[in-house]
Amino acid sequence: MAAGAGPRIAIADGPADTAQVAAFERDRRELVRRGLGLGGTAVAASAIPLLLAVRNAFAVTDTDRKILEQAITLEHLAVLAYDRILGGGLLDRRLERQVQVLRGHEQQHAGALAKALTDLGGTPPPPPTGVQAVDRVVKGLGDVGTRADALSFAIELELAAVAAYHDAQPRFVEARLLQTVASIAGAEGQHLVVLRQAARQPPVPNAMETGRK
Amino acid sequence: MSDTDGLLRGSLSRRRLLGMGAAASGALLAGCADDATNRSVQTAADESDAADVELLNSVLDLELMVIEAYKSAAARLRGPTLQLAKGFLEQEQAHADALATAVRDLRGTPNGPRSSYELPRLRSRDAALRYAVDLENTVIAAYVDALPKLSQADLRSAATAILTCEAEHVAVLLGVLGEPQVPAAFVTGRAA
Repeated sequence: MAAGAGPRIAIADGPADTAQVAAFERDRRELVRRGLGLGGTAVAASAIPLLLAVRNAFAVTDTDRKILEQAITLEHLAVLAYDRILGGGLLDRRLERQVQVLRGHEQQHAGALAKALTDLGGTPPPPPTGVQAVDRVVKGLGDVGTRADALSFAIELELAAVAAYHDAQPRFVEARLLQTVASIAGAEGQHLVVLRQAARQPPVPNAMETGRK
Repeated sequence: MSDTDGLLRGSLSRRRLLGMGAAASGALLAGCADDATNRSVQTAADESDAADVELLNSVLDLELMVIEAYKSAAARLRGPTLQLAKGFLEQEQAHADALATAVRDLRGTPNGPRSSYELPRLRSRDAALRYAVDLENTVIAAYVDALPKLSQADLRSAATAILTCEAEHVAVLLGVLGEPQVPAAFVTGRAA
C-alpha cells in the first residue's frame, strides 16, 4: 500500500491560472499515457504550478505529503471518536462488536497512510487528543447520549471521511496514492452501510457516494 | 472463458499498451511557447482523451454486464432482497449512464450492451447473491486499476464515487448472506 520512494514529479505551490492547470493535466496524462506511472521522471518544480481548489476538506496548497498528513489526522480522529462511543456503553453487544471492527479499520488506514507519508519523506503527525479535536471534523461528540446519537454521529463522521477522500483524489500526484485512497474510501462506504442499517436508514442512498447528502 | 474474463483481458491488454513507448517523455514538458510545441501538446491531449475513452468503455462494459447479471439474479430473489437488487440495478444503470456521458464528453462513442452475456445458471438465492458479490468485486478491481490511468481529475473523482457505491453494494449483499459486511480495511475488489 505504501507509495514508492523513487523519483517523482515535484509540484510547486503557487498561483496558477486555468491555462497552467490545463497544461499540468496534459503533462500528467501524457506521463500516464506513456506508462511512466509518475515515477520515472523528475520535473522541475517551477515547470508545473498546481492550482488547488478551496472547496475541499483538506487545506489548500497541498502536496501529496500535506494531504496525507491531514488524512492521517482524520483517521486518528475517527479512532478517537469510536473509542469515545465504545466507552459510552450506549451500544448493544452486536453493534459494539461491529463498531470495534470499524475502529480497527480506521487505525489500519492511519497506519497505511503514515507508511505512505514516511515513504515520501514526511513525518506522520501525532494522534490528536480530546473530544474537542473531533469537533474539527464533526461537532457534537461530547453531546452523544443515546444509541441513536452515537449512530448519527458516526454516520456524519464516515460521510466526512468519504467526502474528504473524494475531494483529495484529483489532487494526488502519486499513482499508488490514488489507489490507496480509493480502497480506503470504499471501506468507509462499507462502514456507512453497517451504521445506516443499524440506524434503519437506506444502506445505499446514492449511486455516487461522494460523502455528501 | 467467461464474459468477465474476456472483459478483464481487454483491460489488461490495454495496460500493456500503456506500458509501451515510455521513451522521450520530456519533450512535452520542456516548453510551451512555440506553435510546434502547442500543436504537439494538443495532439497529446487528444491522444489522452482517446485513452480515457478506452478506459471508460472498459468499465462501462463491466457495468453493462452487471446490469444484466442483476436482471438475471432477480429471478431467484424475493421480498426485501429483491427490492434491494432492484435498487442496485437502478444504481448500476446510473453508473453506466454517467460513464456513457463521460465518453461522449470526450468525443468518443460509448459501448452499448452486448446482444447476450454468458451468465452462469443461478440455482438459488445464495448463488445469485454470491455471484453478485463476485461481479461487484470485479468492477471495484477494475476501477482501482483504472484510477491512476485516468488523465482528468474529475474522472478520478467520479470513479472513486462509483467505486465507493459498489463497495457499499458488497457490504449489503454480504450482510444478506450472513457474512461479515466489512471484511477488510481496504476495499480493492481482490481477495486479501
